Amino acid sequence: MESFDTWKLVSLSPLPAAALALLVTALVFGVALACWGVRHEAQPRRKWLLWTLRLVGGVCALFFLLEPGMRWLQVARVKNRVAVLIDRSASMGFPVSPKGPTRSEAVAQALEALAPQLEAQKERYAFELYGFDPELGPVSADTLKAQPPTASRTDLFAALRAVQAGQGGGSRKLSGVLLFSDGVDNVDLAQGLSGRPRAVLEKFGVPVSTVAVGKGSLLDLAVANVQVDDFAFVRNSVSADVDIHARGFKGQSVQVVLRREGQVVGTQAVTFTDDDDTKPVRFTFTPDQTGRFVYTVSVPVFPDEAVVENNVKSFALKVIRDRVRVLLVAGRPSWDERFLRGLLKQDANVELISFYILRSTTDVSGALNESAELSLIPFPKDEIFHTKINTFDLIFVLNFSNEDPQTALTYFQRDIEAYVSNGGALAYLGGDRSFGEARGGVNPLDSVLPVTTAGSAELESFQARLTADGLRHPITALGTGGLSTEAVWSGLPKIPGMNLVRAKPGATVLLDHPFATVDGRNAPLLAIQEVGRGRTLTLATDGAWYWAFPSHAEGAPTRAYERFWSNAIRWLVRDPDLTTLSVAADPPSVEPGRPVAVVVGARTADYQPAPGASISVDLFSAEDGRVVGQATAVAGPDGTARVELPAPPPGAYKVVGRAEKDGKPLGESSDAVAVRAVGPELSDARVNGALLKEIAGATGGAYFDSPSFSLSDVPLLEPPLVEVGRSKDQPLWDRWYWLTLLVLVAGVEWAVRRRFGYI
Amino acid sequence: MSRSFTRRAVLTAAVGAPFAASAFGDASLFVPALAKHAGRWDARASGLRRLAWELQKRTSVEVALEARPLALDSPRLFEHPFLYLSADGELPPLSAAEVENLRRYLTFGGFLFADANDGSDGAGFDASFRRELGRVLPQQPLTALPSKHVVFKSFFMLDSAPGRFLNKPVLEAALVNKRAAVMYSQNDVLGALNRDESGTWEFEPSPGGSRQRELATRLALNIAMYALCLDYKDDAVHLPVIMKRRR
Repeated sequence: MESFDTWKLVSLSPLPAAALALLVTALVFGVALACWGVRHEAQPRRKWLLWTLRLVGGVCALFFLLEPGMRWLQVARVKNRVAVLIDRSASMGFPVSPKGPTRSEAVAQALEALAPQLEAQKERYAFELYGFDPELGPVSADTLKAQPPTASRTDLFAALRAVQAGQGGGSRKLSGVLLFSDGVDNVDLAQGLSGRPRAVLEKFGVPVSTVAVGKGSLLDLAVANVQVDDFAFVRNSVSADVDIHARGFKGQSVQVVLRREGQVVGTQAVTFTDDDDTKPVRFTFTPDQTGRFVYTVSVPVFPDEAVVENNVKSFALKVIRDRVRVLLVAGRPSWDERFLRGLLKQDANVELISFYILRSTTDVSGALNESAELSLIPFPKDEIFHTKINTFDLIFVLNFSNEDPQTALTYFQRDIEAYVSNGGALAYLGGDRSFGEARGGVNPLDSVLPVTTAGSAELESFQARLTADGLRHPITALGTGGLSTEAVWSGLPKIPGMNLVRAKPGATVLLDHPFATVDGRNAPLLAIQEVGRGRTLTLATDGAWYWAFPSHAEGAPTRAYERFWSNAIRWLVRDPDLTTLSVAADPPSVEPGRPVAVVVGARTADYQPAPGASISVDLFSAEDGRVVGQATAVAGPDGTARVELPAPPPGAYKVVGRAEKDGKPLGESSDAVAVRAVGPELSDARVNGALLKEIAGATGGAYFDSPSFSLSDVPLLEPPLVEVGRSKDQPLWDRWYWLTLLVLVAGVEWAVRRRFGYI
Repeated sequence: MSRSFTRRAVLTAAVGAPFAASAFGDASLFVPALAKHAGRWDARASGLRRLAWELQKRTSVEVALEARPLALDSPRLFEHPFLYLSADGELPPLSAAEVENLRRYLTFGGFLFADANDGSDGAGFDASFRRELGRVLPQQPLTALPSKHVVFKSFFMLDSAPGRFLNKPVLEAALVNKRAAVMYSQNDVLGALNRDESGTWEFEPSPGGSRQRELATRLALNIAMYALCLDYKDDAVHLPVIMKRRR
C-alpha cells in the first residue's frame, strides 16, 4: 500500500442504497421489538443483559449487511492561482520621490525582489502577473521598466472584478490578489470605498492584498477639481467651485486665478494649513454674453513640483439666456408704445422693464401735493443707463427727446456705446421727437445707430417697401418665401409718416420709402447694423403700430406685426436659431492628445439646409489669436458637416466656421473649446494609501505601505481541491472472527433467554 | 368774414401750438374717436375736447383736440384705439355690422370708454348699453374694477370714480386677455368736463361741486393713460413708491 497516500471507510455491499436503508430499518425495528418484549422483567440486571445481547447481535447483523471495507486512494493537489495586479495608469509614471525612479519602475524592482519567494511557492500557487489599464494584460518586470504607463484612468474596482471573473487567461481557482497601485482611482472608487463597490468587495471571496507604491513626500500643487454647471444664464451670477490640492505647501499662500480666454475674471488667495491639504475656492462671476466660452483655473508653478501640468484646468461654459430682458424707454405715451408694450408683455420669453416719460417740466398737473396725488416716480436714468445697463439684453428707445435736462440721456453716450459694442442690442424707434424733429441737441444714441438725420420728416403716408436685403433678411421674413414675404408687406396698412434719415456705411436697409429719397436713394425706414459685438436697429417712424391695429380693420386677422417684432428681437439678441451658420465644438472639452471635432450646420438665406456648401473651419488660440489648425469640408444633404482638427496643445481655443455656396457667403459663426492640460489621471500626484487599506480590509487581505514585504505575510486561500489518481478496496467484513462473534452472541442470548424462562 | 372768439376757439389756439409742430398725422397723437349712433351721440363732444386739452396740459401725451366722429361699423375706427361712446338716454340697438366691427375693434386692441350721460341705473343708457355690450362681447361681462386696479394709479392716485354724478363709486370693465377693453361709468364722467357754447361749465357736479369736477377730470385722464400705457404702473419698479404713497 505504499503507493497509496490516503484511505477512507466505504460500504462494499452490492445492494442498492434503498434496499440497504430498508434492511437497516427492519433490523432496528427488530432489535427494538425484542427489547420491548422484556420490558416487564422484574430484575433490572436480567433486563439490561437481554437488551445488551440483542443490541450487540443487531450490530453484528448490521456489519454483515453493510459489508464495510477500506478504500485506499492515490491523490494530488491542484495549484490555485494568485493574481498580481499592477496599475498601468499614467500616474504610475510619477516619481516615487523627487528625482527617484517612477512608481512603475519601483513595482518592477519589487517584483524582482519577490521572485525567490514566488519561486518557493510555485508548487502551491501559480502567480499570474497582470497590468491593468484598466483592461487586464500580461506584464512582467521587464515590460514595466521598458514601457511607461499611459492609461488615462485608474479603475481599481473594474480590475478586481475582471480578475474575479477569470479574465486575463487564468483558469485556475483564485486564492488571492496582490495589487500594486498608487491608489489614485478616478472612476468608481474616486470618492473612497463605499456603497455598492464596498458590498461587492466584502463578498469578493478571496483576500486582496494591496501595496501602496510611491511616497507622500512629493511637492505638488494641483487644481484638483472644478465643479460648475454645464451652462449659465447671461447676466446672472454663476459659481465655479474649485478644489486646490497641495502637498508640501504647509503655511504657504498661493493665488488662484480664473480666466476667460485670457482675460482675468477673478483671483483668490488660499493658504494651506497642512502638508497634504485641499482647499475649496469659489469663484462667482457674471457672464455678460451668450455663447460658449473657455474658462481656465490656474495656480502658479513652483520649482521641484512632481507634476506641473495639473496646475491648470480648463472648462467650457455655455452661456444662455433664460428670458430676454428688455428695457423699454418711451419719450411719451403713444399708440406705438402701447402696442409694442402689449406685444412684449404677452411674450413669455420677454422680461419687460419699462420707463415712460409721462410728464415734462412744462406740463402742469394741477395737483397741490404732487408727491401724494401723482403716481409718478423719478426717471432713474443713472441707474438704468449707467449702473445696470449691462443687465439688459435689449433696449428699446421710443421717440425719446433729450430736450429736458431732467430726462436727457446725453451724459450716458459712452455707457450706451460700451453696452452695444460689448454685445448689447439697441432698437431706436423714431417719431415727432427724433432725428430731424428732435429739439434736444445731439442724440447720444447717434453714434451706434445705423442711420443719421437727413432732414425734416416726410409726413405723407406711404406703403413701406421691402428692399433687396429685406427680402432675404430674417427680420423682415414675414412669409414662407420671398414672394410670400413681399405679399405680406405690400398688404400691410400704410405708415402715416417717417423721419428722414440716411443709412450709415455698413448699415443694411431692410425697408425704405417708396418715393422719398435721400442722397438719390430711397429713404431708409428700417435699417440695422452690427456695432462691435452688439447689434442696433432703427425704425424711423412711430407709426409701426399701424401694422398692428389698423391691419385688423378689414376683418382679416394678421400677425405680421407680432412676427416682425419677434424676428427683430431674435436677431438683435442673436438668437442661435436665427443664424444661417451654426458652429459647435463636439465635445466642448477635449482630453489632452485628442482631436478637436467641430460640427458645422449651413443654411441658405431663406433658412433652408445648404447641401454641398463649402465649409472651412479655423482653430485659433483664444489667448493670442494664433491659428493652430484649419480644415475644410462639404456640407452633406442636411447642410451639416463634421470636421476634425489635429490635437492642439492644452489651452483655450476658438473655432470659427465659414461657409459659402455658389460663390455666395452663408455666414460666419464661432464656438469655444477647451483642451485640457491633463486628464483626471494626471491631475493628482498623491498616493491614496487609505483607499488601498480599505480594499484590503474589506476583502480580508493585508495592506503594505511599501513594496518591501514578505510573501508569507500575504493572506492566501489554501488550494481546496483534491484530484484522485487510482484506488483499491479492501473488505473488512469477510473475516472468520466476525462470524464467530455473531454466532456466539446469538447463542448466548438464546441460552440466557431459556434460563430466564422466555423460551 | 367775421371771426368769433368763442371759448372753444381760444382753447384751440392755446393748445394748438405744441402739437401741431411735427407730428406724423393722427398716428402720433391721442385722437379719440367718438362713436356715432342713432341716438344723441355727441352730447359730450365738448367734454372729450376738454379731456384732450387736459391731457396736453398735464401730461406728456400729444393730442389732437377734436375727436373723430366715426360710425361703429367704420374701418377707420381702427386708426383710433381710444373710442368714446355715450348717449343721453337709451342707446339704440346696434346693427350686426356695428356689433361685428366693434367686437373686432375691442378684441384686437381697441379701447372703449362708455359713459352714461343720463346717470341711469337699470334703465336708459345703462340698460341699453349693457344689452348691446352683451351682443358685442358675450363672453366678457362687465365686472366692477377693484380699487387697486391700475386705472386708479395710471397718473393720478385715485380712490373713487366720480363724474358729474356719484351714483356708483366704481368703474366697471370687460376684460379681454386680462386687458380692460371696455370701461364703463354710470357717473357721466365727461359731463363734468363739458362746456357750453359760451365756454362755461355745462353741468355742476353733484354733490361735490368743483372738487368733484377735478376728480372727474383726473379719472378721465387716468382712463386715457390706461388706454395708452396699459398696466405700466403695475410694473414692479413702480409698486414700492406707489404703495408708499397709498399709505
